[in-house]
Amino acid sequence: MSLKHDIEFTLNGVRQRVTVDAGLNALDMLRDVVGLTGTKYGCGEGECGACTIRVDGQSMNACLMFAVDCDGRSVVTIEGLAADPKADALREAFVEHGAVQCGFCTPGMVMQASHILDTQPHADADAIKRGIEGNLCRCTGYKKIVDAIESACCGGK
Amino acid sequence: MTEIERYAAPTSLDEALGILQQGEVRILAGGTDLMPQSKAGRLALGPTLMNIRRVPELKGVALDGDAIRIGALTTITELLADPLVRQHLPVLAEACDHFASDQIRNAGTIGGNIGNASPAGDTLVPLIVLDAVVELASKPNGSVATRRMPLAEFFTGPGRTKRAANELLTAVRIPLPRAGHVARFYKFGTRPALDISAISIGIAGVVRDGALTDTRVAFGAVAPTPVRAPRTEAALEGKRLDAATIAAAANAARDEVAPIDDVRATAWYRKELIHNMTKRMLDHVAQA
Amino acid sequence: MNVAEKPRFIAPDTLIGQRVQKKDAPEKAAGKTRYIQDMVLPGQLHAKILRSARVHAKILSIDTSAAKALPGVHVVITAADVPDQQPIGVARDHLPLKRDRVRSQRDEIAAVAADSEEIAEAALKLIKVEYEDLPVIADPEDAIKPGAPLIHPEPHGADGKHLHLKPNAPVAFAGKPDNVAMRFDYSHGDVAQAEADSDVVFEDTFKLHYVTHCCMGVSGVIAEFDASGNLLMYSNTQVPFLHKREFAEYLHMDPSRIRIVQPPIGGGFGSKLDIYPFEVICIFLARAAKRPVKMVFTREEEFLASPTRQPVLLTLRSGCKKDGTLTFRQVHTLHDNGAYTSWGATTPFVMMQTFSSLYRVPACDYHTTAVYTNNPYAGSFRGYGNLQATFAIEQHMDMMAEAIGMDPLEFRLKNAQDAGEETGQGMKFKSCGFKECLTIAAERSDYRTKHADNLAARSASGPIKRGIGIASMLHVGGGAKIYPSDGCGTILKLDDFANVTLITGASEIGQGSETVLSQLVCEELGLPISAVTVVNNDTAITPWDVGVHASRTTFIAGNSAIGAARKAKSKILAAAARKHGCDEAELDLRGGFVIKADSGEAVVELARLMRNLHFSDKAELVMTTFYYEPPSVHQDKGFKGDVSAAYAWATQVVEVEVDTDTGIVKMTKVTGAHDVGRVLNRLGIEGQIEGGVVMGQGYALTENLIVENGVTRNPNFRDYKMITAPEIPEMDISFVESMDGEGPQGAKGVGEAPSICIAAAAANAIYNATGVRIFGLPFTPEAVYRALRGRADKPHWQAWKPA
Repeated sequence: MSLKHDIEFTLNGVRQRVTVDAGLNALDMLRDVVGLTGTKYGCGEGECGACTIRVDGQSMNACLMFAVDCDGRSVVTIEGLAADPKADALREAFVEHGAVQCGFCTPGMVMQASHILDTQPHADADAIKRGIEGNLCRCTGYKKIVDAIESACCGGK
Repeated sequence: MTEIERYAAPTSLDEALGILQQGEVRILAGGTDLMPQSKAGRLALGPTLMNIRRVPELKGVALDGDAIRIGALTTITELLADPLVRQHLPVLAEACDHFASDQIRNAGTIGGNIGNASPAGDTLVPLIVLDAVVELASKPNGSVATRRMPLAEFFTGPGRTKRAANELLTAVRIPLPRAGHVARFYKFGTRPALDISAISIGIAGVVRDGALTDTRVAFGAVAPTPVRAPRTEAALEGKRLDAATIAAAANAARDEVAPIDDVRATAWYRKELIHNMTKRMLDHVAQA
Repeated sequence: MNVAEKPRFIAPDTLIGQRVQKKDAPEKAAGKTRYIQDMVLPGQLHAKILRSARVHAKILSIDTSAAKALPGVHVVITAADVPDQQPIGVARDHLPLKRDRVRSQRDEIAAVAADSEEIAEAALKLIKVEYEDLPVIADPEDAIKPGAPLIHPEPHGADGKHLHLKPNAPVAFAGKPDNVAMRFDYSHGDVAQAEADSDVVFEDTFKLHYVTHCCMGVSGVIAEFDASGNLLMYSNTQVPFLHKREFAEYLHMDPSRIRIVQPPIGGGFGSKLDIYPFEVICIFLARAAKRPVKMVFTREEEFLASPTRQPVLLTLRSGCKKDGTLTFRQVHTLHDNGAYTSWGATTPFVMMQTFSSLYRVPACDYHTTAVYTNNPYAGSFRGYGNLQATFAIEQHMDMMAEAIGMDPLEFRLKNAQDAGEETGQGMKFKSCGFKECLTIAAERSDYRTKHADNLAARSASGPIKRGIGIASMLHVGGGAKIYPSDGCGTILKLDDFANVTLITGASEIGQGSETVLSQLVCEELGLPISAVTVVNNDTAITPWDVGVHASRTTFIAGNSAIGAARKAKSKILAAAARKHGCDEAELDLRGGFVIKADSGEAVVELARLMRNLHFSDKAELVMTTFYYEPPSVHQDKGFKGDVSAAYAWATQVVEVEVDTDTGIVKMTKVTGAHDVGRVLNRLGIEGQIEGGVVMGQGYALTENLIVENGVTRNPNFRDYKMITAPEIPEMDISFVESMDGEGPQGAKGVGEAPSICIAAAAANAIYNATGVRIFGLPFTPEAVYRALRGRADKPHWQAWKPA
């Protein structure tokens, strides 16, 4: 039986205590142990960004993180963002600009976009494309996603 | 999934080295290489998994005499933004800009990138041409011992380094470049970043009277480890950077490397790229 | 009505052509949408499949005893546990659990249902399989050589003699005497005479590669039997009603006892148009475990076990006269069928249409041989053979134009059809905006000038060469009558608050069908989009639709929804006329009101009228139904006929920068003009086109599923390169609104169109830039570099078809 370890961390503003396998990744912890399925499994290898979360403010691929490394840290998932009024403009921009089709990449995109907004508040289209270079989308061709993030960056169109 | 028998998250270097001394430890920093490698069955996570992210002595970028000391836990994002790196080591910042993705840059560490020892590791080629030196620490006899080694000598094969099992890579030191120092990095790819490169090239040196001196040339992804290219360096050292010198250096580069065929590129193509892009980089240096 | 009220006037408005937000976007942007991967059913078990460790081998033994003994394992099955399993797929050559041999790397040998994914995976590792290797056939050309090992050999009895099964026994049991899976032959006109009349003839072989769908949501299915033995499946199928019937057949069940519910899907693109072994296997597990069983692929499994786009080796002969008139096309193709037959083998249905009818082609001769190998098998993928065909055709168009010294745009315009023409294959072009597409795309991209400038710059110094290339495409835009019906049913109800429930057979696969159907209904009933709820994902509730394929949903489901809406409108206006003492013909619906059509004066609020209708002596609810069958025909045995109710065109001009030192091709701009009949949801259609362009860009430049000796070498995103955001081109998209007479509000289908001619235009652009023409895909840097240095082998296939 693999080693279990207790961790305590803040998840979407709420303190959590969770017991996890020492080798478990943060994505499986969020989806299977905690039960928040908004963060998606796209590849499990850090190549697609569908599992993007924010840890201590930085965006990261949850599939590459060890769950135990969440101990003492602050984690925000799409569910936490969805409840955050500051993120409303971003979400509305995605909807308004047609940046959502099947929607599977969308949670990761929105999480990464929130990081771009925080770190580069005046990012232009080129900087945004670089900013989401780790997020794959098969449906949209990215253009409307970039438009949406750009409009949120400029404080709304 | 490998059996992890013990998980440790030390909060000091001394503590971490003590755990390492007890043997059979897998070191976890950002996890961006360890997690996929362990999932693919290439690395075991146990028996002891040691998370070093909370060891303060491994953090920070600072001037240390005539060198810049970069703590092993410095993330790629931190490197990109660090004023000392941007000012003195722009070629390293540029390599960091072509590293994976923002999400991976935020978690990945320079110590991890070095320790992963991929022949195509993005920071390794610029570090080599910058004459980087690695710092290793251990605690074999109850007190902390350190040693240094040029990074160019640190790699022994794909994923393998001269780090002993009881050693921790604590920092990398880069001598402050002198006046007239130029350095260039090229990573082949169709994407700005999220690519494991088919080849990468680093060139550095001090420009004097239109010639490169103290020439450093290094290639990535054309050998089992990132390598310096002594014959290419010799073709450049002290010679006026004119068309003939550049052509000779590019030819030397192509001849000097013996890459393999793999799913990303064939050996022939890699050699062509090494030739063409060494030439292009040298042309840019000459025109600057 | 209170006579003292001032009369109210409702201004005209329309939803058609507007930028309408996708109805499910807010939920998706908040991460609240529950995809199949997210579903958790109480008591569910997790399933995993043991896939073959060999490419081609006899299965000597399978020992599952250790796996069965692992704590937490409920069921382990192999073919021996399901002796009555039926073969799946169009050629009935594919048993879900393999019995005596494996024929490809992804073959399913055993399956486990356990308490967790971890336990299921551990159980897989405990299953011991003994194989006896068989020679691997990795090349269809080897598979058709005399004496080649057979992929589906006919069974022999113990005496070594052929076992003759009853006639029409499925291929999975009866085998085949050779490795030919399918063949297609088509012709119109006199090709020999046409060739004799030609002044220029080109013959070239084109090689099209493996790519795969890469839906961001991996495949998954959940199966559950209730206490009475009824099957409930949660499935992302694109064809729920077809699958319901097929599953019934495979499971020896009454179709009425099967219900398919479709959770939101993480991408389709044609990957969910066939039944795959994992679905049937999951049902077997659920039956044996008597618990709900959920199976979700890993990404690696998705790459290995999902169908690919059909790889094609084709040799095309094209001819024209020196005045620029096309004379003939003769094409032979070799389709690598893989180990089992899926929809990839039937891509000739579409390819024929392109070869026979993209531009005016007096004579056409088409032959496909699909051949079994030990490679992965191909399925249906957005464009369905049309990308491959167009890649060849549009390169020849440029080559012929150059040979006769004619401007490449002029050459195309000369041969482009107009509305009213009928092609040699019997396709009748009603609305047709082909020439407008060509002209607009060329003008907006400044094609002619750039083409000439780039030619002049070929010999200039510097490693970066610019190129511009043009290509067009033809695809069905009004469905495709290949099944007994190409129709779609709608049930529509209005409630007491004038809210609409639209129950449609058409599935939503992320393409925005829900939103477009709502738009069409709201346009008829004068209601806001927010007034509609769409129900579209439960075979127990929704009326029949053949499925999401052939870019048919807007056209056919749209007309079906309009039909139901118009019936409702008629009923409403008749009731309003009765109540308010006017003539039906004077009335209309607008802005939530019944109005006087000429003045816009409000007569009564629609919601109020609905309540009056409901709560009256002659209580009535407004509920209507409509089944729309498009006026297309089935093709005859010669594949001729007007198979779609409408056809659509697009022209795309692709601009590239080629770095001749590395071979890297950057796609800098794509200018497209699309004949869509009519723009319904401007936001949605732009999104479809932008996404399709980038998918085409990946097909042309970066995506390559590398299969060597039957083994997939890059089953991951690290080495299978999808296009990322920094790589996308600038996109200029125009619409030609040819106003199709049959289409809903004049619209035609567009789902597949934008991917179809990108690679062809890119090939022409690379030639424009460098003078080098490349006949195989993808245009990876190494492939382009080799071609530029003369180190690439030009594909060559001596055209062949079975006697």
